[in-house]
Amino acid sequence: MVKIKKTELSGLINYLSEKYQVFAPVKDGKKTSFQKIKSADEIIDSIPNTNLSPKSIFFPQAEVLFKYDENGIKVPKKDEKPFAVWGMRNCDAKSVLMLNKVFGNAHQIPDNKMYNDPYWKQKYDSSLIFGLACNAPLSTCFCNWFDGGPFDEKGSDVFVIETDDHFIMNGISEKGKKFLKEYKKDDKSDIDKEKIESLKQKAESYLSEKVDISNIYDKLNKIWDEPIWEEISSKCINCGACTFVCSTCHCFDVSDEGKSGKGQRIRLWDSCMFPIFTNEASGHNPRGVSVQRVKQRVMHKYNYFMDNYNEHLCTGCGRCVLVCPVNLDIREILKKIIKV
Amino acid sequence: MCNCENTYIPIPMKVERILNENPDRSLRTYDLSFVNEEDKNNFKYLPGQFCEFSILGKGESPFGIASSPTEKDILKFTVNRTGSVTNDIHHLQVGDTVGIRGPMGNWYPVEKFKGGDVVIIGGGFAFTTLRSMLIYMLENRADYGKITVIYGARTPDLFIYKDELKEWDKRDDLILHLTIDRPMKGWGGLCGFVPTITKELALDPTSWVVVCGPPIMIKFTLPVLIESGFPDNKIYTSLERRMKCGIGKCGRCGIGSKYICVDGPVFSYEELKKIPEAF
Repeated sequence: MVKIKKTELSGLINYLSEKYQVFAPVKDGKKTSFQKIKSADEIIDSIPNTNLSPKSIFFPQAEVLFKYDENGIKVPKKDEKPFAVWGMRNCDAKSVLMLNKVFGNAHQIPDNKMYNDPYWKQKYDSSLIFGLACNAPLSTCFCNWFDGGPFDEKGSDVFVIETDDHFIMNGISEKGKKFLKEYKKDDKSDIDKEKIESLKQKAESYLSEKVDISNIYDKLNKIWDEPIWEEISSKCINCGACTFVCSTCHCFDVSDEGKSGKGQRIRLWDSCMFPIFTNEASGHNPRGVSVQRVKQRVMHKYNYFMDNYNEHLCTGCGRCVLVCPVNLDIREILKKIIKV
Repeated sequence: MCNCENTYIPIPMKVERILNENPDRSLRTYDLSFVNEEDKNNFKYLPGQFCEFSILGKGESPFGIASSPTEKDILKFTVNRTGSVTNDIHHLQVGDTVGIRGPMGNWYPVEKFKGGDVVIIGGGFAFTTLRSMLIYMLENRADYGKITVIYGARTPDLFIYKDELKEWDKRDDLILHLTIDRPMKGWGGLCGFVPTITKELALDPTSWVVVCGPPIMIKFTLPVLIESGFPDNKIYTSLERRMKCGIGKCGRCGIGSKYICVDGPVFSYEELKKIPEAF
């Protein structure tokens, strides 16, 4: 473990900037999000969690797949420097790992190579993620429901614990360990393990009690035709805000901009909450009714993803709870389902 | 899939031939040839697979490949003019360049069918990949037993591949039943919906059967087959959704935990039974 004074963060960001494009939580108008930074001054405290999730670093809301003109198709140039991300909360670091299962691989296809997403891989594979232990979870947080917790290191290359005056950094992945070795060659930091433990316990004490959702997968398999779905979805207005702020939602649309002679093909975040998402040109819509769409979101997160990747597509970051305009709380939905 | 480096980049294709399939010109078949020799050599497919057909600046839409891999050098797509991309496809001229990505998805298990009798049940303009499979089996005729085709359309005009239907009707190694929804003057074939005709024909349930058509036709034909004694694992169908990426990422074609673009579009009824909201 390497300990640096908080005042040394500026030096660390400068050091990183030599080799990396550095992303960190910043104030973005009235909201907070992860953006490319030039200096440590721009960084804000990422407690509470940023309004927008850091998925946009690797999976931008709008991304050019290629440009075209009379000379043919051109793919945008690769970013010269790889990405380093400072201050990704435990839940968000975990969500990036989940997204990598989707974009970096392909389920049930023997030849993975052909089904990789090159745009994701180009950014993610070379990245260095500094996860940050969450010292003060919000009342909307429920990471403890998913084998996680405020001090969960999953998804981080380097895991950072913030104390009053210091950042304590621990190399998790090979990449992270290598970085720390290079950054502090003869590190003899004196680490107060008790302090870390007490921070951890304090952080955990902020979380409401863990709800056991181990049977949610089986329950969801059995309640497809039950009236509970009407009850759950009745107040949803299908605005899609939950999918927009969600750190693991990854559906997208592909669209062309420009004229036939010159333009670009882009992909844009999309949402299963919108009826047009599945509407076919013929007029046939397999998910034309609101209840079907709410069901799809819940099923994808807590059942289908389990089938394909053996985990829930949710980290309990609570953003959907915070933004929902009709106060639809996913935790209440889960509680209802496990009791059916 | 041809472009292994980046599957989002379309392969350039040239429009070689455009054929109007019906008098109101809403259905057109496009024969495309590869602009690059290398792409042609890399493009290996089987009946049932699909492509994303794109016109730069207009967008992409998924279509089943209507040609058979035994038809060299060209790819055939039949397009119903119904939305924005299909409308633009209908404005194409011979010689225009378009893009395709693919082949995507799985295929009809033509290897498994070898040695067995095969029944093909199709409806409307969904006969595209069924044509691919039929041509493929006719080219390898000795590998298959009895081949029966039931093909329904609302009116005689709405059948596609009319010239080929005439030729197939003359063959003695293929039984062709054409049916239209309601009796019409001058129509000498069968009348009635596909599920009804399927029932009346009392098919041999030891055959393999492939059903492809509008969702409503599939929905009502499957129970008829099951009643007739076809086992779940010998009934195949092909599904469609509003697919975009074609590689299992964009999430648009999810049915249950499967994605039609990579786990399908071809599913056996045995598989489909386990998937909610398949129809």
